[in-house]
Amino acid sequence: MRYLSEYRDPKVARALVDEIAQTATRRWTLMEVCGGQTHTIVRQGLDEVLSSSVEMIHGPGCPVCVTPLEQIDRALHLASRPDVIFASFGDMLRVPGSECDLLQVRARGGTVKVVYSPLDALELARRTPNKEVVFFAVGFETTAPANAMAVWRAKELGVENFSVLVSHVTVPPAIVALLESPDNRVQAFLAAGHVCTVMGWEEYEPLAAKYAVPIVVTGFEPVDILEGILMAVRQLEEGRHEVENQYVRSVRHEGNRPAQDVIGRVFQLVDRQWRGIGMIPMSGLGLKPEFADFDAELKFGLGGITAIEPPECRAGDVLRGRLKPHDCPEFGVRCTPENPLGAPMVSSEGACAAYYNYGRYDPATADREA
Amino acid sequence: MCLGIPGKIVEIDNASGITMGVVDFGGVRREVCLEYIADQVDIGDYAVIHVGFAISKVDEEEAKKAFEILQQMSELEELQWGSGEVP
Ligand code: SF4
Repeated sequence: MRYLSEYRDPKVARALVDEIAQTATRRWTLMEVCGGQTHTIVRQGLDEVLSSSVEMIHGPGCPVCVTPLEQIDRALHLASRPDVIFASFGDMLRVPGSECDLLQVRARGGTVKVVYSPLDALELARRTPNKEVVFFAVGFETTAPANAMAVWRAKELGVENFSVLVSHVTVPPAIVALLESPDNRVQAFLAAGHVCTVMGWEEYEPLAAKYAVPIVVTGFEPVDILEGILMAVRQLEEGRHEVENQYVRSVRHEGNRPAQDVIGRVFQLVDRQWRGIGMIPMSGLGLKPEFADFDAELKFGLGGITAIEPPECRAGDVLRGRLKPHDCPEFGVRCTPENPLGAPMVSSEGACAAYYNYGRYDPATADREA
Repeated sequence: MCLGIPGKIVEIDNASGITMGVVDFGGVRREVCLEYIADQVDIGDYAVIHVGFAISKVDEEEAKKAFEILQQMSELEELQWGSGEVP
């Protein structure tokens, strides 16, 4: 096996770090899109080791972090209803809404169930016909095939007491929004390997060409990330801007077609709010009209619930790469993983929690940029 | 919920109309949907599972290595969801 011997060897990592340093004739600014990659980079201190060759900006690729506040508030409203069992992935329970989180709603008597698979939520609905089961369908293209299948099956099986609160987001429109922003500093992207396992990388090719930006599909392990960074730096140095695939052992050009088919049958592109960032046109997935019966927003008339972000949380600046988490005045003060003020402090894939968990909160030792 | 966790397919069941199965993740077994890679896998194969859905087939050594790294990063919590330990 090629990778086993190579990827476990710290010498390989060292050699990649050296090669990145030798290749870079200046300091380049790269963004890793995926929160899993952020977790690895901060945990291993890759950004610090490479700080003379590249600056890593941590992108918006953590679904816990970008699920908009108003969708959280809608989830809290549903979970408080006595006729509803609210089902969710475990990592949404501590995301702060305007007033509280799902755990607190549960403590006050709401029924909130953690499920492993959206099909488990569907099964729960079939077993509890006298209750409405609402599943919180969040995530990027990695969870979309699962959530789409649950809705597809619900229709096929005629499960009328099942619906979904959808807050799906997709990566390419977020990359476009970042690149079109007048103060964009990102010169190359590491695309998320697991998203591309589902979607392939066809849709990134026109972006790399139009915006003249290298995009490297990259895995989440330390050596994957170093290799992805090296590939991106080489392109930048050579003036190329292509889509390259570092994560060949998982990602194929066309992705997983059966999964894309089911996503396409159930969901359509819609405008979507991103927490901290704002509305990005056609950046989300919503249910197609044929599946309107399974749309919790319509079923429970949730359109009137809107929310305004607390101004103290600077997540928007963090997610756009304008502010390092430890430069937020609330970081480690009023905002900690135990008591998160904003969503990026909730999940280990959020930039603020990653910085906090791996000790980037001492200003004396912290990596202070620019 | 994003990274996906590799495991070994120990059961395959087509009775419900979609391909389901049981996957063993280092001793923890969960029911998963295999529909998206149904034509590529058999019992004993390894696959990467996202929130109960197999998205890609992987080989055994890659699966074991990735599992270990996820373990080191404390990214296996998802396997406990809905199992009673995290209610
Ligand atoms: S440290 Fe907390 S308050 Fe500051 S940006 Fe991050 S999540 Fe928001």
